[in-house]
Amino acid sequence: MKDFQNIKKVTVLLLLLLLQSNITKACNKNPFCNNYKEYDFFCDLCSCSTSSGSLGFGTLSNKNFIGIRYVYQNFESKNGIFDNSPITKEHFNTYQLWAQIPLSENFFVSANLPYQNLKRIGIDGNETIKGLGDISIVGWYKLIFYKKQKDQPILADKEASGHSLKFGLGVKLPTGKFEEELSDNINPGFQVGTGSFDGVFSLGYSYRKSKYGVNTLLSYYLKGENKNQYQFGNQFSYNANFYGVFSTKKMGIMPFIGVSGDVYNQITQYNETINDTNGSVLSASLGSELAVDKFVFGTSYSVPLRQHLFGDNVRSKQQLSVYINYAL
Amino acid sequence: MIICVNLKKNKTKFKLYKMKLLKNIFTLLLTVLIMSCSSSDDNVEDLTGQTGDVILKFDNGVGDQDFIFETTYSKSNNESFKLTNLKYIISNIEFTDSEGNTFMYPSEDNVFIVDEEDANAAGEIWITLNDVNAADYVSVTFGVGIDQDRFALGADGQGDFLELASEKGMMWSWATGYKFVRFDGTYSNTTLEDEALNVHMGSVGTSLDNYREITLELPNSVIVREDTSPEIHIKADLEKVWDGITTATFEEGYNQVHTSETQTPVIANNVINMFEVHHVHND
Repeated sequence: MKDFQNIKKVTVLLLLLLLQSNITKACNKNPFCNNYKEYDFFCDLCSCSTSSGSLGFGTLSNKNFIGIRYVYQNFESKNGIFDNSPITKEHFNTYQLWAQIPLSENFFVSANLPYQNLKRIGIDGNETIKGLGDISIVGWYKLIFYKKQKDQPILADKEASGHSLKFGLGVKLPTGKFEEELSDNINPGFQVGTGSFDGVFSLGYSYRKSKYGVNTLLSYYLKGENKNQYQFGNQFSYNANFYGVFSTKKMGIMPFIGVSGDVYNQITQYNETINDTNGSVLSASLGSELAVDKFVFGTSYSVPLRQHLFGDNVRSKQQLSVYINYAL
Repeated sequence: MIICVNLKKNKTKFKLYKMKLLKNIFTLLLTVLIMSCSSSDDNVEDLTGQTGDVILKFDNGVGDQDFIFETTYSKSNNESFKLTNLKYIISNIEFTDSEGNTFMYPSEDNVFIVDEEDANAAGEIWITLNDVNAADYVSVTFGVGIDQDRFALGADGQGDFLELASEKGMMWSWATGYKFVRFDGTYSNTTLEDEALNVHMGSVGTSLDNYREITLELPNSVIVREDTSPEIHIKADLEKVWDGITTATFEEGYNQVHTSETQTPVIANNVINMFEVHHVHND
C-alpha cells in the first residue's frame, strides 16, 4: 500500500504541474481534444496466473504511446487445509514500462516490461520476492470498417463506421524468475514469473461514437511448460468496457465502467494435473482517463463480483492501477 | 515532378520495408510459440541406486476445522469434547509405484509418534523419511500402532523407540504393550460437564491385536529423486474416531477406553479410517 500511496502522490503532483503548464495552450495543438480514437484494452500479463490478466489495459485517445503503469493487487490465501486455517495476506505491486508502437496503418506492436514486488504476510513471517517480471510482446492487426459509399466519388476519403476488429498474436517471455519451492504456496501466483514461453491470442471488437464507445477483448493464453516441468493452466480472459467522452478545449476526460474475467485451467506438474488449481474470477471495474496535451493519466479500480480460485483457498480482494502515458 | 516521383518511390520502399519487418516479427512469434509447444524428450530415466527424501505431514482436524488443544468440538448424541493430549503411533510406512513395485522403509526406523504437541506453526507434524528409493509412487501404506511381529522382537528389539514411547506416555507395561493412540481431555453432554475422557487404545499383549493398516491413493504421483523432497499432506479427521464406521458414545463407556476387548477394536477401526491424503507437493 505504501508503494501505491507514493505513486498516487507523484501522479497528483505531475498532474497539477501539467495542468498548469498546458492550460493556456491552444486546443488545435492538442491532438486529443476532438480526436478520441479508441480505448485499447488488453490483458496485462503481469504477475502470474492469479493476477487477473483481464484487468483493463486502458489507454485512450493516443493509440500509440509509451508509458508507465503501477498495478496493485491484493489477495488472501488460506495457509492450511482447514476452514479455520490462518490467512496469509498477499500484496502484489507491479511497475510496468509499456508501449504501443505503430508499424503501419493497420499493424502495431504492444510491449510490456514489468517489475514485480510481491509480499506475503503470514503466520510464519513475511516474505518478499521482487525482480524483473515476464516481458510480453504482442503484434496486432487492426481491421477498420467503413461506411458504405453510394453517391460519393470513388476518390473521396472513406468514412469510418466506428466499428473495428483487432487480432493479436504474441508471446510472453520467461524473463521473470520462477522459484520452484514457492509453488508450495496455496497461491501459486506468488511468483515473479512463470518461467515459461507463453502464447497469446487475442480478438478485440470496438465501437465508437463521438460521445461514447465500447471496447471488448477476448484473449487466450497458451502456457508453456517451464524447466521445472511446471506448467500454469491455460487462461481465457475477457473484458468489456463502456466509456464516455467529455472534452473541453484544454483536456479530455473519459470515464469508463466495465466487467472483466478470467478462467484458468489446472496447473500441470510432472505431466500430472494438480487438483484445486483451476478457477475463475469475474470483476467489475471503474476508472477514468484524463488527456492533457501529449499526456494521458489513467486510473482504474476493480473488485471481484464472483470468484472461485484454487479451490476457494485464494481470494482476490481488489486491483488498482494508475498510469501515465506519453503519446508517440 | 521528379521530386514527386522520388517521394512516391520512397514511400513505397518504406511500406515494403515495414511489411518485411512485420513479416519477420510474426515469423519470430510463431517460431517461439511452436518451440515452446514441442514436447521434451520422454526418455525413461535410470533410477537405479538413486534415493531421496519424503516428508509426511500429519495435520489433525475435526471435520473442516483445524484441531486446537482445549477447543470444544461437537459430535453425535449431543456430546462434545476437548483434548489436552493427541498422539498416535504410525509404523510400517510403505510406498507403491505405478508398476506395483513397493518400497518399505527400513523396519528398525519405521515407527513414529505423531504428537500434536510437536506440531509446527501451521499445525503439522512432520515425519521425514530419508533414503527412499527413487520412483514415482502412487500410493502410501501405513499402520496405526505396533504389529505383532515388531512386538515379538521383545523389549530389546524395540531400539530407541521403547524409550521414546515411554517418554511420550505411549506404554502401559511391556507385557501389556503400547498405547497406539492417546486422546485425553474432557467431554460434555446435555447433563454432564467436563467429565474425564481418556481413550488409550492398543493391542493387549498378544491376545488382542488392534494393529490396523491402510493404503491411501495419492492424488498426484510422489516423485522421489536425489534432488527432490516431496511432501505428502495427510489430513487426520478426529471426528471419525467417534463418528466413524461405528458410532462411539462417551456416555455409553467410550469416555474411558483402555484394554476392553469390545471397545478397543471399535476405536481401532475408526482411527485407521480417519486418514486421507489431502494433496502432495513435488518440489
